[in-house]
This record gives sequence, structure tokens and C-alpha cells, in this order.
Amino acid sequence: MTEIQLVLTNPTGLHARPASQFVQTASKFKSKVKILSGGKQVDAKSILGVMTMGLRSGAAFTVTADGEDEAECLAALAALVESKFGEG
Amino acid sequence: MVGIVIVSHSAKVAEGIRELAQQMAKPEQKIIAAGGMADGSIGTDAMRVSEAIEEAMTEAGVVVMVDLGSAVLSTDTALEILDESLRARVRIADAPILEGTIGAVVEASVGSSLEQVLATAEGAREMRKCL
Repeated sequence: MTEIQLVLTNPTGLHARPASQFVQTASKFKSKVKILSGGKQVDAKSILGVMTMGLRSGAAFTVTADGEDEAECLAALAALVESKFGEG
Repeated sequence: MVGIVIVSHSAKVAEGIRELAQQMAKPEQKIIAAGGMADGSIGTDAMRVSEAIEEAMTEAGVVVMVDLGSAVLSTDTALEILDESLRARVRIADAPILEGTIGAVVEASVGSSLEQVLATAEGAREMRKCL
């Protein structure tokens, strides 16, 4: 299992379209992917789980991936967050 | 990609949920609102629902999201009107209509099967908002 720390710098945070993009990206990989923040953890492939986390702009969170493609998966998720989900 | 139909007594509710869900959908995804009666009044209309299901139909099938009471009855009637070959690929989700639709749309957007999309929509029943 690999884990990374990310910070949301896009204005919306992990809601609506960004949440959906996050889930869609995580779902491309076979690994089990989780988001952890504030003592809570959710399945990163579940949109309702991700939205329940309520991660706003500026929030820091941990993403873990466990599986054969965990490195590629985390790299793709990090790139998505760092690109500010295309929100500019 | 599984298509989604939103059946509400109110055309505005169905349209509004569609608008919200579209934010999170892929551009080519089929999300069809079937709210209210043909004359715009409050109610659910089996003919409108059946047309919406046909419009939303894909190889992967359609999940129908319903609001209250007779929305289910109208959808059942709509299924009876439909061609049998289509009917086999339609599921009615026993789920809260807004949260369930959002879940279903995103699940469908990643190419999940009909049963997976249905399970995600129905999983919205367990969703806690205030942790």
C-alpha cells in the first residue's frame, strides 16, 4: 500500500464536478483507493462517500492506494488535484 | 453507458436534479427528466416516463430514479407499455431521488454495469450527511 498527502487548491474543493472527476480517475485503476481526513475514511471510487467527506478548498487529505497499479493511480490523482481539476 | 431517467411529480424537480447531475456527468451521457404531467401540472405520467426510458436507453440499460408513491406506480405502468426486450434492461432504484441520481450518474460515467449503477443509487439510502 502507498499513501500520499494532497492539498486542494481549486476553488470548489472536492465537490460536484471535481468530486466526480476524482472518482472517475480512481475508478480507472484496479487498486483499492481510500481518502482519509479528520479521522474519517471513505472509498475514493464512491461519489457519495467522497462528497460526504466535505473537503473544501485548502483542505489537506491523505489518499491511499493498494493494488498492482497503486503507483500509477496515486500519480494520476495527484496530477488531477495539482491541475486544480481544470478550474484554473 | 447506463442511461438515467428522473421521475418526479414536479417537472421543475426532475429538471433541477438533471441539471445538477449533468455537472458531474460525461458529455455523451444520457440523463432524461420525466417530471410532471403533459400539461405541466403536478403528477407522474406513465407515457412520459416510457418515452423517457426509450430516449435514455443504451446497450447497458436504464436506471429509473423515482420520488414518491405514485412515481413508482407510473414507472411500473411505463414498463408495461415498453417493448419486452427493452423492459429487461430497466431497473427502478429504491433510493432518495437526488442523492441516488448523483451516485448513479457518476457510477454510470465510469462504464459500470446496470446492476452496479443500481447498487450505487440504492447505496444513497445509507449516506450520512452530518458525520
